[in-house]
Amino acid sequence: MTSNHAVKTAQLRQAAEDAFAEEIAALRESDDRPRPPNWQMSPQAVVTYLLGGRLPSGFEVTPKYIGDRRLMEVAVATLATDRALLLLGVPGTAKSWVSEHLAAAICGTSRLIVQGTAGTSEEAIRYGWNYALLLAKGPSREAVVASPIMRAMNEGRIARVEELTRIPSETQDSFITVLSEKTLPIPELNEEVAAQKGFNLIATANNRDRGVNELSSALKRRFNTVVLPPPATIEAEIAIVETRVASLGRAFEIPAEPPGAEQIRRVVTIFRELREGVTADGKSKVKQPSGTLSTAEAISVVGSGLALAAHFGDGRLSAHDLVSGIAGAVVKDPVQDAIVWREYLETVVKERDGWKDFYKAARASA
Amino acid sequence: MSDIRLFGIRHHGPGSARSLKAALDAFAPDCLLIEGPPDADALIPLAAHEAMAPPVALLVYRPDRPRTCAFFPFAAFSPEWVAMRHGIAAGATLRFIDLPHAIQLADGFGVSDAAPDTAPIDAEPVAEATETPSEPAPASAAIRRDPLGELAAVAGYPDGERWWDALVESRAGADGDVFAAIGEAMAALREGAEPDPDEAFREEAREAHMRAAIRRAAKEGFARIAVICGAWHVPALMRHDAKGQATADTATLKNLPKAKAAAAWAPWSYERLAFASGYRAGVLSPEWYDTLWHHEGRVAARWLARAAALLRENDLDASPASVIEAARLAEALAGFRGRSRPSLDDLDEAAQATLCFADPAPMGLIRRKLVIGERLGATPPDSPGTPVEADFEAQCKRLRLKPGAAAGEITLDLRRETDLARSHFLNRLKLIGIPWGERREARGRGTFKESWYLTWQPEWVVELVAASAEGGTIAEAAAGRVRSRAREATRVAELSGLIGTLLDADLAGATAAVIRALNDRAAVSADVFDLMDALPPLAELARYGSVRSSDTEPVLAVVRGLVPRAAAGLVAACQSLDDDAAGAAKARIVAVSGAVALIEEPELKAVWGEALRALADQEHVHGRVVGRAVRLLFDDRAIDAAEAGERLRLALSRASGAVPAAAWIEGFLEDSGTVLIHGRELLAVVDEWLCGLDEALFIELLPLVRRTFATLAPAERRAIGETLARPGGASLDAAAGSQGFDPARAAKVLPILRLLLGPEPATTTGDAA
Repeated sequence: MTSNHAVKTAQLRQAAEDAFAEEIAALRESDDRPRPPNWQMSPQAVVTYLLGGRLPSGFEVTPKYIGDRRLMEVAVATLATDRALLLLGVPGTAKSWVSEHLAAAICGTSRLIVQGTAGTSEEAIRYGWNYALLLAKGPSREAVVASPIMRAMNEGRIARVEELTRIPSETQDSFITVLSEKTLPIPELNEEVAAQKGFNLIATANNRDRGVNELSSALKRRFNTVVLPPPATIEAEIAIVETRVASLGRAFEIPAEPPGAEQIRRVVTIFRELREGVTADGKSKVKQPSGTLSTAEAISVVGSGLALAAHFGDGRLSAHDLVSGIAGAVVKDPVQDAIVWREYLETVVKERDGWKDFYKAARASA
Repeated sequence: MSDIRLFGIRHHGPGSARSLKAALDAFAPDCLLIEGPPDADALIPLAAHEAMAPPVALLVYRPDRPRTCAFFPFAAFSPEWVAMRHGIAAGATLRFIDLPHAIQLADGFGVSDAAPDTAPIDAEPVAEATETPSEPAPASAAIRRDPLGELAAVAGYPDGERWWDALVESRAGADGDVFAAIGEAMAALREGAEPDPDEAFREEAREAHMRAAIRRAAKEGFARIAVICGAWHVPALMRHDAKGQATADTATLKNLPKAKAAAAWAPWSYERLAFASGYRAGVLSPEWYDTLWHHEGRVAARWLARAAALLRENDLDASPASVIEAARLAEALAGFRGRSRPSLDDLDEAAQATLCFADPAPMGLIRRKLVIGERLGATPPDSPGTPVEADFEAQCKRLRLKPGAAAGEITLDLRRETDLARSHFLNRLKLIGIPWGERREARGRGTFKESWYLTWQPEWVVELVAASAEGGTIAEAAAGRVRSRAREATRVAELSGLIGTLLDADLAGATAAVIRALNDRAAVSADVFDLMDALPPLAELARYGSVRSSDTEPVLAVVRGLVPRAAAGLVAACQSLDDDAAGAAKARIVAVSGAVALIEEPELKAVWGEALRALADQEHVHGRVVGRAVRLLFDDRAIDAAEAGERLRLALSRASGAVPAAAWIEGFLEDSGTVLIHGRELLAVVDEWLCGLDEALFIELLPLVRRTFATLAPAERRAIGETLARPGGASLDAAAGSQGFDPARAAKVLPILRLLLGPEPATTTGDAA
């Protein structure tokens, strides 16, 4: 590849509060309902911000989340009752996206964030030390390096924790005091940081991922849980896959024709049927594999199929290019999932009109 | 001049009932006219009977055709029920004023296509949210069908139930003004609604009759008359004293056809009351309404506490702290949505977010027990007979079976219509818990003959009454029972048994439900052996049908679905089996192979054959299973003698170990030794292996091999023995040709083989003991 991308001076991605600053300002202006302490708008306005709508002034708010209004209402009501919010869902259900916009709308910043990983330490959640200062002057308030959580408590804002269940269980437990006592003790100074009104926590976690650190029931009880479902209709999911694949194709400059809607529909149909355990016509059930089969995976299956078609095929996405990707996404457990996939092929795919080529390709590669 | 007041209620609405109760207490009517079937007037006093426990239903039916019936269910929170109890307690006159069902159920009433044999007629059109019509109906027709839905849509609620729930049912206290407001709203709605052509006449006749009844009561001189009717009817009944209305009503009611109708109380259940079970004027949440009715105030906290208790009973974590949080969230949501108190929706979502951690399983439990509920009603034992009892008697008479008669055996010839009907009847009774007849093995084993032993127990009458909660006739009740058993069944094999039962009882209507349940269960079942157990009886049904000439195509469809599933999981299911499990697995494989052969569909055969082949290729599966798989393939000519011999040789080679090898032989040979008689090369391999064993191993394996050969038919054993005894014996001719044959050496083996095979009766007698 010879093309030399110009280095963009602009920020690659803007935080929600900057990208939608205008909308937030307009919402605040027209919002006359009571606001919980330290919220920059009322709960109803937050829901409008998330789901979009037209303000009395005629200003159009774009929808950030497309889905069930009731879920967003529960989420916002949770934060308004000073309970922490846990957003659960498989990858690609917009958990982080919702969390970011909630924080931006409620407290004006989505940047108080702890990214959960296996290596997340207690310091990242509580506080660390500026060791130079600590050595020079001994423990003092200046030497404390506040975590995003501590800063949120001090300022009465919303803190975010991404991928809560990836954080080791011991470390997760640091949240318990924060959430139940709303204070963060600093024993070295014999002090504590008390949370200001408006402080709350939004955590996200993947609820179908294997090998994560299950939340202790003590911690679980301190959260209200909202599950964000996968796209409700097949048409919505196809649209998501189509747009994302198109942008992927551009980004990697794959010299293939854009995938036919028919092939994408197939991939999405298979993913939805196996994910939901029932065929699209609702007539019969199918076994569910252990994998999550998220929309994100469907996107990557179509993407890699496209790359296969471009580099090793005739440039047109065929059933053959998709099969291995799909089988790979479905069969995560070599024994049980293989049975599920086989059964699905024999009882569902085989009978379906116009899917002969896919069935043959799948059988051939099995 | 009588004081006549109209109370427009919503059927099964607790708020409506509460308002009504307060209004009746204040009004103290001496006559209550209730929208209900006058055919059941005589049964009203029983509502106050101490043994009467709602939910119960009034059934009105034609004694000559109990299938043609209408249900009027009442729960404790039904306004009509409250009115009845109030009237009885106050000593007032109570009457049902709807158009008698003697007319409504008569042939030729109303629109001609309302065939009397269709599903039970639903007599409560107000809360009806009927299924969407096949073609888009004009807006006015929609208003007619679901008046509350239209009001709710205007108010921004998703459906009529929720709107009413938020505005009326969940209101604390009782407010008499509600009735006036409802009357006005309905008047406005009715103005805009054009009559539904299909229902217009029935509605007109019903309202005419109700108006006439009001006028009659007024003429009789009651001082205060309370009319309790569905809200939709209020504007029409208002006109009862309008000028010329009496004449018009008389004209409407003239020359209506009439049939004989009987009525009875029957126990009902919340499940049947619920929308979910298809009762059109039902409510989505009977148990929630029950809670609203019985506990005024603090309903939210009570409901959530019950939910937590329910979860704890089921060993699920639910702390009191979570209940408090759930209540707070529910309050917040209600405030958020502009309601004074949490509705069921708010509670449901709060429970889901806090108590259940968004897990759908406990939510399902809560919905089943606390939203719909499992309450069952009861009726007094001496109340008059239900349609099921009437149907029972009619059937007994028709089929000349006498319940009281002395025990005895009857033999039925299923080729004769009456006998076939008797068999169906007895099978149906068995399904509803009345094992009047017990199937005996018929002599002669002709498939068209059935032998039954009949003994009648008087207490079975109770079962008949209970059955009426599930349908108007024995057949309907039996079908209902089968459907609920199908829902509860956990094993696929259980369901496949049910299908056989259904064919026996000629309940084709329920077959679809059971087959659906079976397909669903089979699809998610991880237990391949369960699927395999289900297959043989189904295959037999599908192949031979039933003497009862039922349609077997749906059964065949099930089999077509089951075989690929069993095939897909076969190899995995056969891993790590111990000896006993391997024996069971082998038996199932044999049975399924038989079933597949019976169906004679090449595709199924191919799929199953492929699975068997994959199984035969397994290295670490129990030998008995693999051996049988190879044998089945060989019998089916999927592999030839040379390949079978090769596999046998491989299995028996030293590297595989002697014990697995013996298991392999057992699987390969047991029950039939013809392969050894006709496939001499196979016999040679077995013989060679046996002779190659060293002494210790031989002694160890002897019982097993002996056992294997013992399963063969004596004639087969003899034939094998004779083959071995012949000069040349087991060694293949070819082998003999190439290596030469030493009779003396061969003879040395013979005593042992003779010992094993017992070729002659004289020598076997000793061993067999």
